[in-house]
Amino acid sequence: MSSGTDTEKAKPFKLLGILDVQNTPCARESVLYGSAGAIVAGLGHFLATSRVKRSFDFGVGGFLLTTLGTWMLCRYQNAKLRIQQRMMQEGMKNKLTFEGTEMDPTRKSDGSNKNSHGSNS
Amino acid sequence: MAYPSQLGFQDAASPVMEELIHFHDHTLMIVFLISSLVLYIITAMVSTKLTNKYILDSQEIEIVWTILPAIILIMIALPSLRILYLMDEINDPHLTIKAMGHQWYWSYEYTDYEDLTFDSYMIQTQDLTPGQYRLLETDHRMVVPMESPIRVLVSAEDVLHSWAVPALGVKMDAVPGRLNQTAFIVSRPGVYYGQCSEICGANHSFMPIVVEAVPLEHFETWSSLMLEEA
Repeated sequence: MSSGTDTEKAKPFKLLGILDVQNTPCARESVLYGSAGAIVAGLGHFLATSRVKRSFDFGVGGFLLTTLGTWMLCRYQNAKLRIQQRMMQEGMKNKLTFEGTEMDPTRKSDGSNKNSHGSNS
Repeated sequence: MAYPSQLGFQDAASPVMEELIHFHDHTLMIVFLISSLVLYIITAMVSTKLTNKYILDSQEIEIVWTILPAIILIMIALPSLRILYLMDEINDPHLTIKAMGHQWYWSYEYTDYEDLTFDSYMIQTQDLTPGQYRLLETDHRMVVPMESPIRVLVSAEDVLHSWAVPALGVKMDAVPGRLNQTAFIVSRPGVYYGQCSEICGANHSFMPIVVEAVPLEHFETWSSLMLEEA
């Protein structure tokens, strides 16, 4: 059995023992942006007010909101991409299956016997 | 397929299972965020020197911890209901297979065109060949064409069983005297394992399910061979 192949999953590193950030799509990006948001919010509040505990609260709030926001955006884009991928696969399969027939998806429906490439039948 | 000490799902082999895994990831992220918040609040409460012996109520916090959980539940419920209705869509199956549970084996009937019926017994540990999986292999696999909608009618001849294949996102109870219907599309060729999921006696753990997804031409060859052997 070979090691280090491209198809092997990375050894899972789970945040709080539950969230596999390496193998879950969008998780790593969300947590990293969330951490950045936490630092920005917490540090910014501290520099403005010099209140330590309240700054930590703002930091945690920033982490939660930034992580959630990044997660939702990334998942939405991911879902759009998956749908496009499925449509493309379906389209390619239909083109291969029906090419040259009446059900050819690229065939122009102009009432003539010509196919989409313009050759005469 | 499954591996030792596994906690997560198996890789998806059907579109429904892909959606279920995505929904699970979404819900797990929400759980992770709530757990982080709770952990932080506990740490803050334990480490503070402030006390307030005279607090009686606080309308603001009550509003927050009513509205916020409602929003979180809506964020979980909407994708959940979407998948629920997706799984119930009519999908015009190309093939119908009956899976009948017995004590302690499954039998499969492909009766759409010819009368093909066979039993599927677990291969005993001492009869395994190198490379085969203990308690998962069967003498006859349920072979299906890939990328085709398949309908499985599940029932039982004696006691309750349950026909489950995790990689396909399928589980359906096998109830004597009742026909339960489930459907799936296998996205890629491969061999997918499952086990009986309803306690049914001494050998409940020893009646596995093996689904083999192959290209249509291979399925036609297989079914011809099986009919000749019968």
